[in-house]
Amino acid sequence: MLDRKSETLNTASNHSAQPLVSVENLRVEFDTDDGIVVGVENVSFSIMPGETVCVVGESGSGKSVTSLSLMRLVEFGGGRITKGSLRFNRASGEMMDVVHADTALMQEIRGNEIGMIFQEPMTSLNPVFTIERQLTDGLRIHKGLSQEAARAMALELLKSVRIPEPERRLKQYPHELSGGMRQRVVIAMAMACEPRLLIADEPTTALDVTIQAEILALIDRLKRENGMAVLFITHDMAVVAQMADRVVVMYRGNVVEQGTVDQIFETPREEYTRALLAAVPKLGEMRGKAAPEPMRILGAEPTPPIQPSVAQDLDREVLLNVKNLTTRFPVKGGVLRRTVANVHAVEDVSFSLKVGETLSLVGETGCGKSSCGRSILRLIEAYTGEIWLDGQDIRKLGATELRQARRNMQMIFQDPFASLNPFRRLQDQVAEPLLNFHLTSGRELEDRVAHLFDRVELPRSFLRRYPHELSGGQRQRVAIARAIATNPKLIVADEAVSALDVSVQAQVLNLLMELQADLGLSFLFISHDMAVVERVSHSVGVMYLGRIVELGPRQAVFEDPRHPYTKSLMLAVPIADPRQRRMHENLKFKPVPSPIFPLGHEPERSAYDEVAPGHYVLRPS
Amino acid sequence: MTYILNRLLSIVLTLFLISVITFGVTNILPGDVATMIMGTQSNPAALAGLRESLGLNDPVIMRYGRWIGGLLTGDWGHSLVFKQPIAELLIQKIKASSLIVIMSMVIALACAVPLGVWAAVHRNRWQDTVSSSSALLGISLPDFFWGIVMILLFARTLGWFPSSGFADPAQEFGRALMHAFLPALALGLGLMAHLTRMTRSTMTGILEQEFIRVSRAKGLAERTVVWRYALANAIGPVMTVAGLQVGYLFGSIIVVETLFNYTGMGWLTYQALLNRDVPLIQATVFVIAAVVMLTNLIVDLLYLLVDPRIRLG
Repeated sequence: MLDRKSETLNTASNHSAQPLVSVENLRVEFDTDDGIVVGVENVSFSIMPGETVCVVGESGSGKSVTSLSLMRLVEFGGGRITKGSLRFNRASGEMMDVVHADTALMQEIRGNEIGMIFQEPMTSLNPVFTIERQLTDGLRIHKGLSQEAARAMALELLKSVRIPEPERRLKQYPHELSGGMRQRVVIAMAMACEPRLLIADEPTTALDVTIQAEILALIDRLKRENGMAVLFITHDMAVVAQMADRVVVMYRGNVVEQGTVDQIFETPREEYTRALLAAVPKLGEMRGKAAPEPMRILGAEPTPPIQPSVAQDLDREVLLNVKNLTTRFPVKGGVLRRTVANVHAVEDVSFSLKVGETLSLVGETGCGKSSCGRSILRLIEAYTGEIWLDGQDIRKLGATELRQARRNMQMIFQDPFASLNPFRRLQDQVAEPLLNFHLTSGRELEDRVAHLFDRVELPRSFLRRYPHELSGGQRQRVAIARAIATNPKLIVADEAVSALDVSVQAQVLNLLMELQADLGLSFLFISHDMAVVERVSHSVGVMYLGRIVELGPRQAVFEDPRHPYTKSLMLAVPIADPRQRRMHENLKFKPVPSPIFPLGHEPERSAYDEVAPGHYVLRPS
Repeated sequence: MTYILNRLLSIVLTLFLISVITFGVTNILPGDVATMIMGTQSNPAALAGLRESLGLNDPVIMRYGRWIGGLLTGDWGHSLVFKQPIAELLIQKIKASSLIVIMSMVIALACAVPLGVWAAVHRNRWQDTVSSSSALLGISLPDFFWGIVMILLFARTLGWFPSSGFADPAQEFGRALMHAFLPALALGLGLMAHLTRMTRSTMTGILEQEFIRVSRAKGLAERTVVWRYALANAIGPVMTVAGLQVGYLFGSIIVVETLFNYTGMGWLTYQALLNRDVPLIQATVFVIAAVVMLTNLIVDLLYLLVDPRIRLG
């Protein structure tokens, strides 16, 4: 944990110094087919040497445009800086205006005095060049190092970002490295010439939470060791709380509010900032509460207020009972494309879900949570196990019976852009399940669809529209309307709110909870977001390497985690509260082992200890 | 290694299928070899005798076995029209055709890659429009049309290149190039148009990738970013498409070689078809198929060199 007092002192002493960057009245325009679109307008803020400034905002707020303007990279995306100045204090002490710099000067500054990290570690590295080449090219241009000297330097850099086996990495290509390692390489690249300013544009958004914690700690350490300033772009308030000295809140291309991190989180002045903060679920804020609670949405109190689904009711009927579910995917290889190994995606998973409740499966990439949800709906075929839904074993159903059973089990997918057919009107897409099961037709069908639109709080004028006319949150509402059309009993929501902005996420979560209370729906909620899961679930299953390692009532799992993996996951989640900083210096989460096993490998059955009533922990094997 | 074995195995299988198909089809064609040799007016008894001695009355399976056995042992039979061993004939013509195919490929790539990159860099601006519309023009018009235009322009009017004929590259290399140039250009124009579009779309996709932004953020010059960092990623897909076009080229040479009276494989195939020279038809089809497949294998192996991601797979 950082020493807050010394940090405040530090910031205070910097006030007398000259700012490293000062952005004044920045305006960026984009030429589009529909004329000129203003990306950002009237943006002003400054960054002191050694300071971390977070620019936070939802999609379309102009935060990335601002950071790309500082590097004058915005021009490559069709943008034009039409007003304002971007003053940068160079290493030589000379003040320059980035807006008026010529190409040669910008190339001298990029990567040398300002380094930049981007969002996607998977695509940030050139796939056809070795790590060494990509680490050394900047050094050779800016510092004029020889190949040998640059290689030695690259090796040092890899060591400083704590990549295991750095010598071997130099000779490797990007695809041979994991996402977390690639992001370390990208950071090493940005740090190569010891820039005075590091711009990090959503550097951890695409990463798992444990890797995110490591990367954030790394950026924080490098910042303190090298005394460089960081401009951190993010949409995630929790990350802001962990990283920022000062915060700039942006909305629709304008700066809404700026101030120190404590000021923004504790005494936000603007309505927008307050709403944004309210919509962020904080891990741990549900402590002592048994039942899920709707998200706070400022200014739009739902009327009537949602009756949160009552606390876990032990007498409630079980809707879904999954026993020893195992799903494997064959790995094909050799000349004849035979199965040479199996990916053990889901390994002996058992749980039950009661009527009107939410069970969340939470875990990191590749833990098998999505495969589990899909196996239950038989979108993929399980290897063994039983899936009892309402007295039927789904796995034993024939094609016709399965089709009928699907009326009772629906799914909401992550990407509302991909899960709606772009060529069909929204009303037709919502009507489809009803027609498919011959539930209703004609006039009645139209009424039913219109009611579904009311139900998910979409205006009826949207009925005849097409998906591209809607925002992400609106599309997800259509997907929800489609899922509830047949009055199903079970809905599998696979990362259903992950792609949405936080304020929209809060609204959609509330809609789901409201539907649950009104219609008695059961949700299997699949998510990587611990804070959201804490908010919405009755029970939680933590998945790791295909197995549920801990299962129980939400309160038990979150307040008294027993399995080491659950504990490390809790430790890694950033909390949207600057008073709870947890920048651990030597975070070292164990990398997840491979789930690929040779043919015929039969792993041990999952055995659990019941540590409290209904709270199960996987017994170590 | 497994990859290469896999590919070789599938090539052998495909060649086998091609041999069956060519043999089958030429067998169904009316008029047999004996009639070709002796003419339609010949004595039926002599014809029957010749059939018997050529083994044409044997079951299809046996004749196919004999033919494929001959192919494998290097005995490709005699051409009925040219009165020459087919193997000898083919080797000579393949050399001639390879020259124009390679030349057209070089011409096409040398123009298409820069043009495509240029269009991608200046996407949706006049440079892109110029490049795209000329590519469209190249694709829309058939190659014999370009052949005629070239004969008129370069041979008739300007007199820079001969309008027809052939020279053996082994003996007079310079003259061989002169003769090959116009057919190669005619062939290459359509190909170039196709590859320009391919390069443009591949490069457009790559230039939008994050690693390109990262390269710019490192302070690399735009020239380096586009021509080295981006192009290194585009060259693989472009090469693969170019390789697939070799098949198309071997189809097109029939028209272009006949037009320029250039005596290569295309011209030979045309003569064989015209005169129902069955053994020659079988052999040329088989050889063209083999050459096309081999080129694709070579291209895919080159791809391995360019793209490390496939190397391990």
